[in-house]
Amino acid sequence: MLLAGMGPALAASVVKTKHVTAELLSENAALAPGKTAWVALHFKIIPNWHTYWRNPGDSGEPTVIEWSLPKGYEAGRIHWTPPERIRVGPLANYGYSDIATHLVPVKVPESAEPGSTVTLKAKAYWLVCEQTCIPEEGAFTLSMLVLPGPPQPDPGTKDIFAKARAALPKPSPWPAQFAFRDGRFELSVAAKGLRRDSIESAAFFPYTHGVVTYAAPQSLKVETDRLVLSSTRSKAALKDGSAVGGVLVFREKLNGEMVTQAFAVTAKPGAIAPTATGTALSVWQAILFALLGGLILNLMPCVLPVLAIKALSFVRHGAAGRRHMGAHGLAYTGGVLACFALIGGLLVAAKSAGAAIGWGFQLQEPVFVLLMAWLMLVIGLNFAGLFDFGGRFAGIGQSLTERAGYTGSFFTGVLAVVVATPCTAPFMGPAIGFGLTQPWYTALAVVLGLGLGLALPFLLLSVSPGLLRFLPKPGPWMVRFKQFLAFPMFATAAWLVWVLSLQSGDTALLAALAGAILIAFALWLFKLGTGRVNRSIAVALAVVSLGGVVALARMADSSAPASVAVAPAGATWEPFSEARLEQLRQAGRPVFVNFTAAWCITCIANEKVTLRQASVLAAMKRANMAYLKGDWTRRDPVITRHLAKYGRAGVPLYLIYPPAGSAAKVAVLPQILEPDAFVADVNRYAPDKDRRKAER
Amino acid sequence: MLNCMRKAGPIAAILVAAAGPALAETGPVVGQPAPAFTGTDSDGKTVSLADYRGKLVVLEWTNHGCPYVVKHYRSGNMQAVQKAARKMGAVWISVISSAPGTQGHVSGPQANKLTEARNAAPNKVVLDPKGVIGRKYRASNTPHMYIVGPQGKLLYMGAIDDKPTAWGDPKGARNYVLAALGEIKSGKAVTQPSTQAYGCTVKYAY
Repeated sequence: MLLAGMGPALAASVVKTKHVTAELLSENAALAPGKTAWVALHFKIIPNWHTYWRNPGDSGEPTVIEWSLPKGYEAGRIHWTPPERIRVGPLANYGYSDIATHLVPVKVPESAEPGSTVTLKAKAYWLVCEQTCIPEEGAFTLSMLVLPGPPQPDPGTKDIFAKARAALPKPSPWPAQFAFRDGRFELSVAAKGLRRDSIESAAFFPYTHGVVTYAAPQSLKVETDRLVLSSTRSKAALKDGSAVGGVLVFREKLNGEMVTQAFAVTAKPGAIAPTATGTALSVWQAILFALLGGLILNLMPCVLPVLAIKALSFVRHGAAGRRHMGAHGLAYTGGVLACFALIGGLLVAAKSAGAAIGWGFQLQEPVFVLLMAWLMLVIGLNFAGLFDFGGRFAGIGQSLTERAGYTGSFFTGVLAVVVATPCTAPFMGPAIGFGLTQPWYTALAVVLGLGLGLALPFLLLSVSPGLLRFLPKPGPWMVRFKQFLAFPMFATAAWLVWVLSLQSGDTALLAALAGAILIAFALWLFKLGTGRVNRSIAVALAVVSLGGVVALARMADSSAPASVAVAPAGATWEPFSEARLEQLRQAGRPVFVNFTAAWCITCIANEKVTLRQASVLAAMKRANMAYLKGDWTRRDPVITRHLAKYGRAGVPLYLIYPPAGSAAKVAVLPQILEPDAFVADVNRYAPDKDRRKAER
Repeated sequence: MLNCMRKAGPIAAILVAAAGPALAETGPVVGQPAPAFTGTDSDGKTVSLADYRGKLVVLEWTNHGCPYVVKHYRSGNMQAVQKAARKMGAVWISVISSAPGTQGHVSGPQANKLTEARNAAPNKVVLDPKGVIGRKYRASNTPHMYIVGPQGKLLYMGAIDDKPTAWGDPKGARNYVLAALGEIKSGKAVTQPSTQAYGCTVKYAY
């Protein structure tokens, strides 16, 4: 059979069996003496049937090729693309459906005579199965011309080879260890900075029997500095315990599509520390922890004063209001839970949109911190007696809570949650951290558990009249107590202002303090009288304070550091900044920009494989190309802008900027960097004479 | 009521988690008593493992259509192993766990015809179309071999030999079954009591 456009390569044979159409293909149109030529045994398998990987699993047999080559020619082993797991009832196999490409390197001797025709013969045996298995075989002949000069790829087979090559496992950039414990097999990979929610799935395919039970599920736990894959141990014994080799396959969510990355791993035996209980919480444990956290949160200086005030209202109403107290308690709980449901919803939505958040994320926003500080101040001033809110002042929580009636209790609940946000309690962290790694209903359950914990003491107080007996009788002490409670609120405000100063510097500190004084002044004016002049001044002052907030927001945005990364000594790259990019381009240098993140597996794979290759580094040197690396691990807004400019929502993004004044446009490279293609892209910027030399 | 449910939930979860491992059978273990079974043979008679207490028993899961089984029978290897085992005093039971309609499923008369045509030498051929015995033994492939000692303990389970291929001749391969039987007869411990079985998957009814 002749393949169109094949040029010098002559007939490649095709064997068509009942289940498989098999071809022996050559990557190049001719053989070059002294070089390695790649051939592939390429299968097209009929639907529902499959052939096998080098380790076939519970049954099956790997494809075998026996070569008959002329003297001096040597065929290497099959380079296997990663398999898929194929289930057969309670068992599982590792194999291929639809397409299987078996790449084999063939060494061509130096003595090969240019102009001669060489015949490569192969006999291949494969097992193809659906429910039943059929052993099949084929005899293949590949007659090829030997030509001097650089090998020319065969356009007819280019796609097949490119696809297979891209799928081949790369050497793992991370060291790995394995251990058998309690009937489990554990593989620990020392990979820093990976994130559980960007990894769609991970699977380990060992090369030999005696490692895993093939059909058993594999679970993945991601920690800050390692990844642990765990599965049921094989019932068969491991023949050679000195190392376990296999292929680790990740499916990663990258810019809206799924990318598969495979790594060849050799794991040494070693003790593997148990994974932190934080990530191994069961759902019930997480909810319990959240409940406890919520309970303890009641004692925090943010929340306690609010609760105490509400409890005081119970004391005030005494026996008269006791009948409705239970309903008040429920209304309060309703307010708390509604608020937490909203927060839970926002967290889940933000998480699914890819944001790296957890409880406390709000404290990373300077504007939020400033507003909270001012709110604490206002509440403290209210407790201290500087002013009282009138019933007409809608929209401020305190007034709503002063209302007798269930709405009042509902909004006390809401207020309790609002003032609770700057505070955290023990147990909350692991519970919410775990909850956010789970599906939305689990995350919501954990957050509501937290809300329930927060509402519980007050709810209990309201439904059990017996407990009210322990509350002291009303009296003048109530006024003093309320004034006393102002101070925890002021303390919280002070702490928040300190956090703000750390985040946004001394100018923000000035804005916060100045705003605080203006607000306090405005409140005093308000209290003084109902005169229109007074009111307008107060409102004007409030507006000025808000202006401070806006200024702060704008300031925060532009002063954010462009990049957190610092290049290690001897690195070939510099940290990315817009200024440096411009500087390099003005100096007449093309610039390669790599936007990466610690949790992006494809980025790591590209960096450790393609970007470290000698040919790539040499090409960049020849082109005098600078290399800037932008670290997006903390979602640097400057880099986010660049990503959006090129239509990307995430990393990796590889760009080559031409030198300033060049007519060329910015080159956007593919997400997966192939060494040859990348070198070709870089060479475009090499001076002509160097480029010609490189191509020879 | 809500309080009750809130308490019951975690307790129920704990109970299920504890029961889980117990519910999942661990399967046969070398050195432990082999799972007891009772089945019907190709002549319609009842056969039990207990019947052979005091004797060595070799169990061979088979499927006459499977290329791996074909390799052993066509070459005469399986028949030779059967005869050698019986000479050593072992009882050979071939078990067919293929579900009706799948490869390897045969009726009693058909099984007897196959035995005769292939000149095979099992003492009994047990028909297990529902896969009850197969699942007890966690038989995964054909051929899958087990050796039960005179005291009823499982002494070997796994492959028939160390050449897990559908091609070629079993000649020259190390036959695990004969090696194990030899070691058992001379009172030694079996050096390779558990190996990975190879062959077609057993065609259970799912």
